[in-house]
Amino acid sequence: MNSLISLLSLATIVMGFAQEPHRLAFNDKKAPTDESDLRMISDALKRALPQAQKATVCLELQQGSGSGVIVSADGLILTAAHVSGGVGRNMTVILADGRKVSCVSLGLSSESDCAMAQITQKGEYPFVEIDFDDRSKLGDWVFSLGHSGGYDAARGAGVRIGRLAKRADTTLQSDCTLIGGDSGGPLFDMSGRLIGIHSRVGQNLQRNMHVPISEYLRHWDEMKDSQFIGDGPFATRPVKGSGFLGIGTEDRSEGGVKIIQIGRESPAESAGIRVGDVLKQIDELVIQDKKSMQAYLKEKTAGEMIRVILYRGAQEISLNIRLAEQSS
Amino acid sequence: MNSIKTLMFSFLWFFGALASHGFETLATEQRLNGELMHSAVGKAQQALQLCSAVCYEGRNEIGYATVVSEDGYLLGKWSELRERKNLMLRIGHEKYETVQFLQQDPVWDVVLLKVDAVHLQPVVFASTSNVGIGTWVVANGVTTRAKRRPMVGIISAQTRKIPLEGGAVLGVELLEKKGALIVGQIAEKSGAFRAGLREGDRLVSVMGKDLKKREDLLDLMKDREVGEKVVIVFDRQGKTQKSEVILQSRTETFGLEKNRNDEMSGEFSQRRSGFPRVLQHDVYGSSRTIGGPLLDLEGKCLGMNIARANRAESFAIPLEEMRGLVQKLKQQSQGL
Repeated sequence: MNSLISLLSLATIVMGFAQEPHRLAFNDKKAPTDESDLRMISDALKRALPQAQKATVCLELQQGSGSGVIVSADGLILTAAHVSGGVGRNMTVILADGRKVSCVSLGLSSESDCAMAQITQKGEYPFVEIDFDDRSKLGDWVFSLGHSGGYDAARGAGVRIGRLAKRADTTLQSDCTLIGGDSGGPLFDMSGRLIGIHSRVGQNLQRNMHVPISEYLRHWDEMKDSQFIGDGPFATRPVKGSGFLGIGTEDRSEGGVKIIQIGRESPAESAGIRVGDVLKQIDELVIQDKKSMQAYLKEKTAGEMIRVILYRGAQEISLNIRLAEQSS
Repeated sequence: MNSIKTLMFSFLWFFGALASHGFETLATEQRLNGELMHSAVGKAQQALQLCSAVCYEGRNEIGYATVVSEDGYLLGKWSELRERKNLMLRIGHEKYETVQFLQQDPVWDVVLLKVDAVHLQPVVFASTSNVGIGTWVVANGVTTRAKRRPMVGIISAQTRKIPLEGGAVLGVELLEKKGALIVGQIAEKSGAFRAGLREGDRLVSVMGKDLKKREDLLDLMKDREVGEKVVIVFDRQGKTQKSEVILQSRTETFGLEKNRNDEMSGEFSQRRSGFPRVLQHDVYGSSRTIGGPLLDLEGKCLGMNIARANRAESFAIPLEEMRGLVQKLKQQSQGL
């Protein structure tokens, strides 16, 4: 057992050395000693900045605005759980150039404050590279971006510099000062690789906390699958019955229910359900009457996906619909 | 600060220390503003020592000023210094207990100061303030009696105009009484109060326009800028008087209703908006670290720090405008 552990740690060290050539030299210096050391840091920052800025977005939800960063050309966004607040929420993304596109929140980890969202408008979006190998180390020079206080076209996303001052499993701390609106924005190493997402601050200017990218990688598949992970404190698990489909129905003697009303801007409307359609099945439930359907939907929460089978005349239609949040 | 949304996702407060186990922590001296950084910014520290003045009110450090000539002229932040009694400056190791307020520019919120000195070292300007986002800058941090402490950061956003938050105001409450406007409550820090207006006076006209209703004044004030001078005529016990009001921002007149972002910003500048053009940087600071120069790594001056806006943003007047201000205020003070 002992030898196995030492073997593993040896492997880590060997890998560690193998990675050294990829590290920027100033990161391995205790501190910069002169102006040329400092210039190497700012030169690296200036090289990495343009792409990082293009991929940093402002997220607008009903409750306010936060930040996020695009990590794939088709518009996958990483942000904080306390920004997206839940699964399946609609939001507006303001890109760096001011363009607005629609977006929906995917899964989140409510315990560590990480979350994902997806731009729903098809397109090629500017994105940044993720530090998949988790190469950042304590003391590394880093920079943060974010739409502090909301999107400001004349300003752009503000840049702040610092060093990685603390590292733990689910938290990084840096010198990069953060403020409201930066929440969910990106923390980069000096090569422009994404290493964390802004999460929380302390009163002291030096206490700026980020969720490390490793935490996103750990929950990647679950978040892509729109799962709500954990039980707070960064997001409140939706209660049963909070799911909203947006249909009005009436019973039919021959089984199923007839759609007599569609809520405006409801998931039912977006999915293309029409008045007059006959609802036959939701997930595994064959619908007998209105009462049994309502009882089933009452167990559902906002953000959950349901599969609906309905008839439009003789045509059978199958739809996957994500439930919205019941407005109180 | 921006018009889109005032509500933002605020960070959760993080109280207490991070759990001590399983944490790697960087030594304090190695952090962005740790002791070890000082040697790397030696030239800038040297320049701060000579060309920035520490401003004291009694024993309290209240801000900085920037030396702009050998013979004792300095620029400071007007709204921070104007009410101070017994203002004292320390430049290098010398103390200056007599400080003259020569001339101010209310738009930029700067004042030209003069001390009795002959061999000061003024700031040396860089060739341009347009150095690009990500460029290192150095500014004054909290000081010890003898030594200036350099604080480092970077230019962090596009150089731009900062629109005035809340608009420009006279600073009075007006009551409509029998077709006349009577002054009700008046803020002591308002331009109107400084111009001599008092509770109970009847406001007759502003900028030559007779006033009957409150809306008349609101219409007039709509497009005014901070620092603009407007002539008021008022009546006190049957005697008509005339005065000139320098308009101020709503925030410096009435104080600011703090939002969540302000709550997490410590001591920020009361006047932090309404500037025609500023450099933005991320150097740590507070309202008490404003007024000194913003330097590059060579110790050359890129501008003058004019506002601590919030936890993440500080503003500096670019050197181009700063030079113009020095020249203009000097000429005005000499009656040219």
